[in-house]
Amino acid sequence: MTQIEHLGWRIETRAEVTARQRAQGLTLAMAAALILCSFLFLAAGANPFAAFAALLKGAFGSWRTATETLVKATPLIFTGLAAAVAFRARLWNIGAEGQVFAGAIVAYWCQHGLAGQPPAVQLPVVIAGAMIGGALYAGLAGLLKTACRVDEVISTVMLNYIIVYALSMLLLKGPWSESGGFFEQTAKVDPGSILPALFSGSRLHLGFPIALVAAFLLQVIIARTPLGFEIRAAGSNLRALEVQGTNTTRIILVVMMLSGLMAGLAGASEVYGVHYRLKAGAVAGYGYSGIVVAILGQFRPWRVVAAAILFGALVNGATFMQIKTGVPSALIYAIEAIILLFYLGGWAASGLRLRRIARAR
Amino acid sequence: MTEAPARLEIRNLTKRFGAFTANDAISLQIAPGELHCLLGENGAGKSTLSACLFGLLQPEAGEVLVDGRPLKLTSPADAIAAGIGMVHQHFVLVPAFTVLENIVVGTGQGWRLDAMAAGVRIAEICRRFGLALDLKRRVSQLSVGEKQWVEIVKALYLGARLLILDEPTAVLTPQESERLFSIIRQLTATGISVILITHKMNEVLQSDRVTVLRRGKLITTVRTAETGRDALSEMMVGRSIRPVAAGQAARDRTPVLKVAGLRLALTRGQNPQPIDLSLGRGEILGIAGIAGNGQDELLETIAGLRRAEAGTIDMDGQTISGGPAQEVAALGVGYVPSDRFRDGLVPGFSIAENLILGAHWQRQWRQGPLLDTAAIRGRGATAIAEFGVAATGPDMRCARLSGGNAQKVILAREFQKARRLLLCNQPTRGVDIGATEMIHGELLRKRDTGCAIILVSEEIDDLLALCDRIAVMFRGAFAGVFDRDKTSVATIGRLMAGQTDEAAA
Amino acid sequence: MLAELLNTSVMVSILAATIRIATPVLLAALGELVAERGGVYNMGVEGTMLMGAFTAYLAAAHTGSLWAGAAAAMLTGGLMSLTFAFLVITLKVEQIVTGLAINLLGSGLSVFWLRAAFADAGQTPTIALFGTAPVPVLHAIPYLGPVLFEQKLLTYLALLAVPSVWVFLFRSRPGLDLRCCGENPKALDVKGISVAARQYGAVVFGGIMAGLGGSFLTLATSARFVPEITNGRGWLAIVIVIAGMWRPVPVLLATLAFSFLDALQLQIQGIGIAIPYQLLLAMPYVFAILALAVRRAHSGAPERLGIPYSRDGS
Repeated sequence: MTQIEHLGWRIETRAEVTARQRAQGLTLAMAAALILCSFLFLAAGANPFAAFAALLKGAFGSWRTATETLVKATPLIFTGLAAAVAFRARLWNIGAEGQVFAGAIVAYWCQHGLAGQPPAVQLPVVIAGAMIGGALYAGLAGLLKTACRVDEVISTVMLNYIIVYALSMLLLKGPWSESGGFFEQTAKVDPGSILPALFSGSRLHLGFPIALVAAFLLQVIIARTPLGFEIRAAGSNLRALEVQGTNTTRIILVVMMLSGLMAGLAGASEVYGVHYRLKAGAVAGYGYSGIVVAILGQFRPWRVVAAAILFGALVNGATFMQIKTGVPSALIYAIEAIILLFYLGGWAASGLRLRRIARAR
Repeated sequence: MTEAPARLEIRNLTKRFGAFTANDAISLQIAPGELHCLLGENGAGKSTLSACLFGLLQPEAGEVLVDGRPLKLTSPADAIAAGIGMVHQHFVLVPAFTVLENIVVGTGQGWRLDAMAAGVRIAEICRRFGLALDLKRRVSQLSVGEKQWVEIVKALYLGARLLILDEPTAVLTPQESERLFSIIRQLTATGISVILITHKMNEVLQSDRVTVLRRGKLITTVRTAETGRDALSEMMVGRSIRPVAAGQAARDRTPVLKVAGLRLALTRGQNPQPIDLSLGRGEILGIAGIAGNGQDELLETIAGLRRAEAGTIDMDGQTISGGPAQEVAALGVGYVPSDRFRDGLVPGFSIAENLILGAHWQRQWRQGPLLDTAAIRGRGATAIAEFGVAATGPDMRCARLSGGNAQKVILAREFQKARRLLLCNQPTRGVDIGATEMIHGELLRKRDTGCAIILVSEEIDDLLALCDRIAVMFRGAFAGVFDRDKTSVATIGRLMAGQTDEAAA
Repeated sequence: MLAELLNTSVMVSILAATIRIATPVLLAALGELVAERGGVYNMGVEGTMLMGAFTAYLAAAHTGSLWAGAAAAMLTGGLMSLTFAFLVITLKVEQIVTGLAINLLGSGLSVFWLRAAFADAGQTPTIALFGTAPVPVLHAIPYLGPVLFEQKLLTYLALLAVPSVWVFLFRSRPGLDLRCCGENPKALDVKGISVAARQYGAVVFGGIMAGLGGSFLTLATSARFVPEITNGRGWLAIVIVIAGMWRPVPVLLATLAFSFLDALQLQIQGIGIAIPYQLLLAMPYVFAILALAVRRAHSGAPERLGIPYSRDGS
């Protein structure tokens, strides 16, 4: 009995939720989120309409800004896919953040001795290194879960904190620190290892098409292969798979590593596509945003890509918004969380209904 | 019985779920001190009716009067305030709490937990009805019977004057059931009314009056003394029941399964006696016993899902003990688990996908690295037709299937796997009579193809009808193994309760 | 170097620092313990603490009153957890995902608000800090006095919360009801008692405690708010509840163990021993993973922890 029964109402679960009910619930929730965000703009002393307009203009105002939006979206596609594949199997890999770091670190470790080699040598090494780094770091959490029964939520979060210090150790007076530099960062990477730009006059680089290919492959894996069958089954009832003789330890490890591999690519993409050096600022923050992107994309690869572009636009537009209206660009992270909370609420609420129950006094 | 107001009066109670009418204008009166039986098969609406009376569900129409006063039931709090108590079909106890804590939780006011005063009141209730309960023991340490007494005391502690018992004997031994009925008699003697929900005929015959429900409709309410077993059965089912004719398969007696010195790794309890067992082609071995005495563990161990403490399992001379489950299945072993939605099905998957669960890496369901969707859907369509699954098609999600139809999907999958041995854990629990008959028929047909079957059931009558031999499990071991025609319900019941019976050996 | 650490006055200062450092985590962990005993897994502790730390700083900076800061932190913590409770108890959203959303909200909103409230984010004002409040007489006890009885008021409060939570959970009637929500909520529901109301209460209590814990960081430690000031303490609180097997006294001991590591680390850095400081800073997180890896499985977890209760389901 919930308290509202005293008021004569009861919340019931709908047996089947129609697409229309879902759409209504989500639309209402998003409208509410928008209104709440408008209050935040007002609190920051800006006209919400002007701020939203600036945000839009900053994100899509010109060909250049639009491609920049895609640049910002690229790492989010990778981390979004990472969270999507794990969450789809009900494995709560919160560690994309740390796995981005791991991908970047291993990619750099593999590549930095190859300076001067042609891109045909260096680029595959960068890509493979990033995938391996992310996969191994996520695999560690998978191993902790299967061998020691450590909850993956906790272990991945702890690993997120640990790797930040590990990178700092490597960079601050460490083996990789830029000689004569004051910042915690490596020297610029070799030009032959840089992910080439797609068009002149734009920063959009090879990482973006790679992200689209990753989304396509993940879509095929999930929807059409025996492995995807297991991922989807694990998301609904892992125990039934186990009773059918499927090795669940293997599934957990494979899914965690597949997820980490995706996240690792974001590390390579940022270091070798955007910042050209390894530093914490190049790789931080994408893991947590990726979780939001994955949820908004309902764990389906192409929708994840769409959600990542939306959030890339937010990030990209925020700088312009700050210049135009003085609203701190940090607001977009609050907006991200608000959208997520309302989305979750709207999704869940559309599966429920209120029913009047008579009550005699 | 007519002068005083009835303890409970139901007038035209109707409860619908969507288009389905679970209770159709039910009217009923229960007198003080009456033992009233609600009889009906699964899905007849008994549990829905009791849930409405206890405020867990709200009827669309109708009235409920307690002691002549009309009552609106919107929550269990209303029902409890009106003196209605309920013992649920599945225990609603906290295993980690003591008996006392289980009884007092959710009662009382304020911050103080007055265990002393509560203990005195509970002791008084126990004395009145001849129950012995150690209030300081944890419920997890109690036997099934003792848990049932705790449930009854819980209701009485809340001041119940009308007690609803929902299938209370499903988990009890025949002897514990007798004890339950003597307690019920003591309750009714003090004026407490009891509604007993059951489908067991020998229990029905001990009541004062009986109400028969069928497909949500009240068929009749009669004095028990004025009716009989056959008449009630016919009213319950709506036609006369044919007993299953098990017949005898032409067995060639070649042993399929040999189990030697098997010590089960039990979930609860330890160090069971070893089990020895031999099963031939076309033989059905029944396993009787109260739930939790190692039946699940035995089947899981044979299926390769659980390691044994010791012992060997051979299939056709090949050792399979210890699994892995995939290899055991490849030898032609099917396993129907007792909890179908937890262990048997992926609820988010379609019927077709559930049918290839576990076989999804096999070549026949693949085209290169990809799954062969057309072949998988085709398999789904065949199985739906073969087992008569009521479904919209092979793409229907299993979460939407009823218990009986979900079970048919599992049977379709496991029958295909089971070329040599089929392990069946309570295949007919909670399904209606039509589906039960169908499932029993399929089991016999499977046996006739030469497949050996181990059938776990809590329905001793079913085991006696279907099986060639019956083993009784107690504390993880066999308390006795009998040929079908050389035993009786009473003997099996005694062994289920752990009483050794020299005469039966 | 070891000799230097074993010096009694150094030991006393390490132990005193241990107790002081334990305060925010202990408050948050006790709050989370109560929520989890009620069956709700609140993974939003980190974000709740962060918002507590920020609003405490903001209120203290504006009013000049530290107690106004603490009150603001408790209010914020309560509101954050009320949002969480509504989503997971009433709407039955996945608890893990909702907890993450609360964390993101805390981290996004605190930074935005900081920038919006202080035009020059680089130069935020400092506030006065809570002073130590020595307990009369007791603080003079040699060794024990400086360790236990020369602390701040919030620290005493956190220590007193341990027996209070124990009495509530295991010796009071509402505590029994709450534990029932975590073990088998249906047993409460069939007695006509609202499971949701009790879970709301437990979660909001947890949020208030997390907010108050967060406030200690700004009001008693750093004097200003910097982004991500909690730095994983909320997550450590969750680990501590698991390592403490969902019991108040072991939770206290686990908190002290983690804080001891932290205090030792500060001391080692202070002495200037040549270990990379990152290694020392990463220690609590490594230790957390190890603590979970070696613990006995399933020790003491409420049976229905993290599973939303609905009458029609199961």
